[in-house]
Amino acid sequence: MQNNQEIQSKDILVKIRGMSFKRGTRVIFENVNLDIQRGKITAIMGPSGCGKTTLLRLIGGQLRPQAGTVTVDGLQVNHLSRKALFKLRKRMGMLFQTGALLTDLNVFDNVAYPLREHTDLPDSMIHDLVIMKLQAVGLRGARHLMPSELSGGMARRVALARAIALDPMMIMYDEPFTGQDPISMGVLIRLIKSMNEALGITSIVVSHDVAESASIADFIYVLSAGHIVGRGTPQEMQQSDSKWVRQFMEALPDGPVPFHYPAADYDEELLSGNGHG
Amino acid sequence: MVKLGQLSRIPLEVLQTLGRYGLDFFERLGRGHVFMIYVLMGFKDVLQRWQLVVIQIFSVGVLSFVIIVISGLFVGMVLGLQGYNTLVDFGAEESLGVLVALSLVRELGPVVAALLFAGRAGSALTAEIGLMKTTEQLSAMEMMAVDPLHRIVAPRFLAGTISMPLLAAMFSAVGVLGGYFVGVGLLGVDDGAFWSQMQDTVDLRDDIFNGIIKSFVFGIAVTWIAVFEGYDTVPTSEGISRATTRTVVNSSLAVLGLDFILTALMFNK
Repeated sequence: MQNNQEIQSKDILVKIRGMSFKRGTRVIFENVNLDIQRGKITAIMGPSGCGKTTLLRLIGGQLRPQAGTVTVDGLQVNHLSRKALFKLRKRMGMLFQTGALLTDLNVFDNVAYPLREHTDLPDSMIHDLVIMKLQAVGLRGARHLMPSELSGGMARRVALARAIALDPMMIMYDEPFTGQDPISMGVLIRLIKSMNEALGITSIVVSHDVAESASIADFIYVLSAGHIVGRGTPQEMQQSDSKWVRQFMEALPDGPVPFHYPAADYDEELLSGNGHG
Repeated sequence: MVKLGQLSRIPLEVLQTLGRYGLDFFERLGRGHVFMIYVLMGFKDVLQRWQLVVIQIFSVGVLSFVIIVISGLFVGMVLGLQGYNTLVDFGAEESLGVLVALSLVRELGPVVAALLFAGRAGSALTAEIGLMKTTEQLSAMEMMAVDPLHRIVAPRFLAGTISMPLLAAMFSAVGVLGGYFVGVGLLGVDDGAFWSQMQDTVDLRDDIFNGIIKSFVFGIAVTWIAVFEGYDTVPTSEGISRATTRTVVNSSLAVLGLDFILTALMFNK
């Protein structure tokens, strides 16, 4: 298994140490340590509701942990001022599960939005850059469409074009494969891989689609119940003897993550004859 | 049978509930004020992107124009009719112009226009911002290093604050015309007396300027509540529905409460 110490610190883009995060009284993460290597694709996997998206929001500084540190490119995200955080975010891209395109702008203007906000480039250059980004995701011909006219897969590709508009050092993908047909899923897998290979962008893919994520990831973390229950390359994860990892990788309905939500005794409840729900 | 111990617990539970509501209220009030400080800090950005404000003035102001004008016309016509019926008993129907104008400029113009504005533009602002939050558009902007408080909320707040006094002025102007149409056109009040008495009595500073101040304050209150409710909404369909309702209810109550305070300060002799 790949050990944290083996990774040189200069190769680590995101470093999380002793991080704990709660929502109210519910513990989402407890003393989590995690490294994301520069220029690699790292998959964060785990069952629904285990806090994968929350982890991305913690890395992006939209949430702050109650304990521990989240460091991105040497900067402690949880201690940055709003101004410094926004400066760092210009070097980060995030692909939201829904695409999160601005609904009052068409495809072209959505992709142009970060360029217009953060650069003083002339319109002609913004036009060329947007066309290049849209060409990369295969939607140059759809630039006049409004977000409501796009399919789910197309919306995510436009959102991807927008996420790479400022040539970020890192892209965070939040459940990119959820609800996609096989063709769209194949396209997204190829795009994530090619963005990583061609542009050297560090990619964090949060997903519960095991096969798809494992096919492109260089390294995998498996989360469950607020802890990292497995870490390693896809091959190492396939051979892992951890019950948690086995249940998740082999899609077993019952195991350390129980099939039943915690409840009173079944027989007792049936025999009690209480008509209330 | 209710035991004594249970009876003694009831007032405690009532107190607990009241305390919780009180704490929630002050917590939201505090959050609303912190929110507004951040929005005001975004005004520098807004001035550099004044087109955003123009677009929003069209959305919240121009699109509210029709409902304001039609309502103003009917309110003015009703004032003309009711005022005439009362004044004619005292042989003072020539004062109809004064009655209509003062009622509209001092009270009905700012208040009714603000209530209509809360229903038409306030609810739309809340729903729009709430839906942007629900569909993660606000989060996406934050992750693109664009502050939604500066780009989305501040232009809308400024547009609402600018639009409200203009809409109230239009409401009053059209209302006077409505009163004129009923009083002079239909009921036969003297044309010259209607206008001249109005001109003599309505004071620019005491009446019109105070009315403008009122509508400006209402504009701030309604738009503030609307954008805050939208931004603070629980990101679900039910959350948006509740936030929109709260905007209309709270801003209507705020307008009526503020109207009493402002009237007491302005017209108390």
